[in-house]
Amino acid sequence: MSPKARLSIAVNGESHDLEIPVNRTLIDLIKDDLGLVGTKDGCQQGVCGACTVLVDGVPIRSCLELAIRCRGKDVTTVEGLRENGRLHPLQEAFIDNGAVQCGYCTPGFLMMAASFLKENTRPTEHEVREALVGNICRCTGYAGSVRAVLAVAENQATGQSESPGASS
Amino acid sequence: MSLPDFDYRSPTSVDQAVALRQEFGDDALMMAGGLTVVILLRERLVEPRVIISLSDIPELRRIDRNGRVLHIGAAVTHSEIVRSGQVQGAAPLLSEACGRVGSPAIRNMGTLGGNISHGDGASDPAPALLALDAQARIAGPAGERLIPLKDFYHDLFVTDLAEDEVLMEFQIPIPRARRETRFMKYTCTSEEAFATVTVAVAMRRDWVGKCADVRIGLGSVAPIPMRALNAEGVLDGKRATKELIAEAAAAAAAEADPPTDAQASGDYRRAMTEVWVRRVLEDMLLG
Repeated sequence: MSPKARLSIAVNGESHDLEIPVNRTLIDLIKDDLGLVGTKDGCQQGVCGACTVLVDGVPIRSCLELAIRCRGKDVTTVEGLRENGRLHPLQEAFIDNGAVQCGYCTPGFLMMAASFLKENTRPTEHEVREALVGNICRCTGYAGSVRAVLAVAENQATGQSESPGASS
Repeated sequence: MSLPDFDYRSPTSVDQAVALRQEFGDDALMMAGGLTVVILLRERLVEPRVIISLSDIPELRRIDRNGRVLHIGAAVTHSEIVRSGQVQGAAPLLSEACGRVGSPAIRNMGTLGGNISHGDGASDPAPALLALDAQARIAGPAGERLIPLKDFYHDLFVTDLAEDEVLMEFQIPIPRARRETRFMKYTCTSEEAFATVTVAVAMRRDWVGKCADVRIGLGSVAPIPMRALNAEGVLDGKRATKELIAEAAAAAAAEADPPTDAQASGDYRRAMTEVWVRRVLEDMLLG
């Protein structure tokens, strides 16, 4: 058995004080210990992007991070995107633009896109595609996801973040 | 799949890290960004007794310019290098190379020290560091030492870093004379994949327009990142022409020792080495 250690961590704004084995990965902590099953476990090699979460606002692969290295950090998962009980504009836009089929890759796309739109509020399509290059979707062919991110950027720029979507 | 059992240490100084390296020897594995180490652990390709995390050592996380030397700590991430104005100003070749490592989340995790000390011939920053005459600063029980990066690599996954040593930083000399650089990563699948061939070139042109201090770093075309010394020799001291560039590109392809793997065959890599060295040099010198 790996030894255990204490871990203080905030996940989606909620503080946790846990005792965990030091070999626990961040994704196992999120899904198994905290029961937040929105984050998906895909390739386990950092390639597919399904497990992407934000640590102190920065997107990383939770399958390749040790939970113990996130001491004192602030983690955001897809469950934390919701604001005041409402879906995040990106989530609405993914629905409106048909960016989801099986949905397995969606949480990773949403986390990557949410962080990207904070850094780049007026992205070009090329910039969106570059930002999402590490997220693999085997259903949709990416057209819908890229359209959704551009739609949210557009709405934010014109101050209509309350009603994102392709039709607005 | 969960990870094998191990103990975990997170030293906060280089001295503590070296002491842990001495204590545990090859029973311990160092982790910076974790990308490579966690995959190796999960696949049971390594089963260390102890993981030594280097992320809590402030000294390893700094980018500093000191006179004509740029210092980049071993635990600085690729993203931090891409965003650094100091690196952009003094060594844009390295900014570009780090910007082509994997995908954004991978660049947020992976560190320059982790990338280099893994000893993989497919590194993208390594050819840039080679072209920039970078040195690695290493701490050990007997003190510190500096080693040129071109001497750091021994063989695939084998470097000069000893069992009781810690890679501290990279030092990049900043020349007084204007230096021209070019970086190119060619992948045959998608953008974020491992390279088929990576080319990094640095040189200056003297007062009559002759090539001088030519450095050509190549990635993914040999078991370790390499300098194309013969190709450099073709150009050094001469005025660039289409014919001379073709000769240099052919020399680079001849001195490559390309592996065959899932990305590309050795023959294809050698052919692409010739093509991309030629295109990069033509764009740089005749464009």
